[in-house]
Amino acid sequence: MTLLADASTLRLPVDLYATLPFWPLLGAILTGIMLALRARTERAHWPVVLGCTVSAVLAVVLFFDLPGALHQEPGAGAVVHEALAEPGGHAAGDHGAAAEPVGFTHTLYNWISLGERQSLDPESDRWLAINLYFDGLTGVMLAFVTVVSLMVVIYSIGYMRDHHGHPLRGYERFFAFMGIFVFSMVVLSFAGNFVLLYLGWEAVGLCSYLLIGFYYKKPSAAAAAKKAFIVNRIGDFGFALGIFALYMYIRPLTQVGENPLDYAVVFRYVGELTQGQTTLVALLLLCGALGKSAQFPLYVWLPDAMEGPSPVSALIHAATMVTAGIYMIARCGPIFARSETALAVIVVLGVIGAVLAATMAMAQYDMKRILAYSTISQLAYMFVALGCSAPASGVFHVFTHAFFKALLFLTAGCVMHAMGNIIDLRQFSGLRNILPKTRALMLIGCLALAGFPLLAGFWSKDEIVHSAFAYSPVVGVLMLITAGLTAYYTFRMYFLCFHGQTRFPKEAGEHPHEMPPVMIRPLYLLAFGAIFAGYLGVTFGGIPGESFLGFLQPHGFFHHYLGASSIVSGEHHGGGIWLMYVSAAVAIVGIWLAWMRYGDAPAADPDKAALRGLWMLWNAKYYVDEIYDCVIVRPARRLGSLFFATDNNGIDGVIWFVTAVPRGLGAGLRFLQAGVLHGYALGMVIGVAALLLIWGWIEAAAT
Amino acid sequence: MLAAYLLVGAALFALGLIGFVTRRNLIIMFLCTELMFQGIVVNLVAFGRYPLEGAPMLSGEVFSGQVFSLFLFAVAAAEAALGLAIVVLLYRFKGTLDASAWTLLRDE
Repeated sequence: MTLLADASTLRLPVDLYATLPFWPLLGAILTGIMLALRARTERAHWPVVLGCTVSAVLAVVLFFDLPGALHQEPGAGAVVHEALAEPGGHAAGDHGAAAEPVGFTHTLYNWISLGERQSLDPESDRWLAINLYFDGLTGVMLAFVTVVSLMVVIYSIGYMRDHHGHPLRGYERFFAFMGIFVFSMVVLSFAGNFVLLYLGWEAVGLCSYLLIGFYYKKPSAAAAAKKAFIVNRIGDFGFALGIFALYMYIRPLTQVGENPLDYAVVFRYVGELTQGQTTLVALLLLCGALGKSAQFPLYVWLPDAMEGPSPVSALIHAATMVTAGIYMIARCGPIFARSETALAVIVVLGVIGAVLAATMAMAQYDMKRILAYSTISQLAYMFVALGCSAPASGVFHVFTHAFFKALLFLTAGCVMHAMGNIIDLRQFSGLRNILPKTRALMLIGCLALAGFPLLAGFWSKDEIVHSAFAYSPVVGVLMLITAGLTAYYTFRMYFLCFHGQTRFPKEAGEHPHEMPPVMIRPLYLLAFGAIFAGYLGVTFGGIPGESFLGFLQPHGFFHHYLGASSIVSGEHHGGGIWLMYVSAAVAIVGIWLAWMRYGDAPAADPDKAALRGLWMLWNAKYYVDEIYDCVIVRPARRLGSLFFATDNNGIDGVIWFVTAVPRGLGAGLRFLQAGVLHGYALGMVIGVAALLLIWGWIEAAAT
Repeated sequence: MLAAYLLVGAALFALGLIGFVTRRNLIIMFLCTELMFQGIVVNLVAFGRYPLEGAPMLSGEVFSGQVFSLFLFAVAAAEAALGLAIVVLLYRFKGTLDASAWTLLRDE
């Protein structure tokens, strides 16, 4: 198997692809200049839109250019899989050569010297480079990140305006931040070493903070932004420690010229680490993923992050940034695959997160919060896939989820726009006549999220359920139940919004109307993705004749594509084809139940009456926020006020005493400074005379 | 001989000092500072003419006294230009040349 690849095998010059991250950044800078010049223009979105367009075109071209460059013969991915098929990959050492991922690194320039220069020749040093990593995973990430970003940015042109079509306050600021976000996200996905990954990681976190707090005059938005940032700090602390540990362990194994944090180098030597070292590194890296991807126990920031504008929720907090954790774990496949413990932890946390978030979503009324909980739940699905040694399925779900979840958030934004910024499902219903296009688009999104057969979400979710069953039937059943809950709460939201008697709040004005084309058209592309993106992961022509669904076997193009990456799959599918029918049935039953209970959007919530205490518990989000408040936030505050008191009384007291001495002396001598020139002159003369006399005496005494 | 010169210099300096401390007219005070300068210049020239035992010599002559006094003239000229300008400004503000009219620099 020769899977040698380098930059020269790409059809277009690699330096052209290397410009990919910088177009949105350029756009953001131009928009920032407009902002600085106070050019209050309605066209402030153009630089960022154009920048994102160029990036998206390049990324899509790269997506189709990469397989050839990686010499990816059909089935070669499967060879990689087989080589690593042993669950957990304990026998890492002797598989080292076969396990080496097939991507290649392209170095832009040397950034930081690691200070090991042997001679005047810079080649003799080790360098932390600005480098890009090209493999299947990069191709997938870049393609959907840039395309979804472009759609969301176009949508924002319409969204960030008031009812008269005038840009909102901070229009330029919004687009500048979006541009920086896309840049950071692309850097994160494209990075060729852990430091650059971390840089992108923190930069998307910063953009998330800035955009959640976009309406910074609103106290809840400012608080949500801080919460997101601080909770992410906890995870990122672990992530940084993980990178440090990796450096510490890998460095002694490497040779001159190899940077111990380059992906390629890490993956080459990771097999030589001990089990304990690998597990430690994997768990620390996992910490970062838990924070960024909003997983239990660090998920609490994501529902609050819905304070940001809807396009931000769609892009950052549903489609792209929150998948960074999944991406990172998939990228570090060679590390995680060697630690059974870490994988088990991922599965357990994933299952907890999926079930918790799905149940919490059942009892909410804020549309965007429902979608936020569903995002947590779906991300937890991806975690389960990663933990079940099926990262390709996880990344596949990332890919399909990006389309339909962005679609759902953006249509929720349309509803919010039409309803005068009201998003509470109790305040409106029956909007199907007012917002027909939005309704159709949201229906597609809801069906895809619910896992309705033949839509995007169905294929990816089904694969995860398969892997979960292969891992453990308990996990598989829990995943299936969660899938049913997902279908149920998604359609509960849909029916409450669009069905029943037409009513809307007074904030919506007299005649709420459909959104302008600039907001609707990008949604068509996302809806197309929500329907058809799943077919990238499906092979046509399984066992003809067995059944219609049998004709469509999982493991299509997408998995071969991802085979040429650092992803390490030990994929084995349990359950067989019947499981596909079961998961389809579960989705349909969930939708049917929602139709029975919420089909006419009843004013009194039937679940609330039926489930009582359980419902209240879900509605209160299991009191997790309150528990964190009691256990962590308040003790931390108390510790803070203790330090504050110590500083104010103890340390300041010492300082006060030190200053009191000169102050007292000064008060005693203050009268001497009367401002009269003659007094000073006389004082000077007397002083000089006295000094001279003393000097004379000393001289006399000496001789 | 040196002592006589030094006495003249000391007398000039003392006169200037006493004048500066006792008189209130700003111009007189200013002239007194000039007087102190000249006392010092006399000293310098005297030491230049009658160097002390062991003073550092340059090719048999000591010029540093003379050179210093030339410097002092230059400094005194510059200081006179500034000082008189300040006196004029002070006069414009208060309409008097009495130095005790200005006590802004005292501690309140």
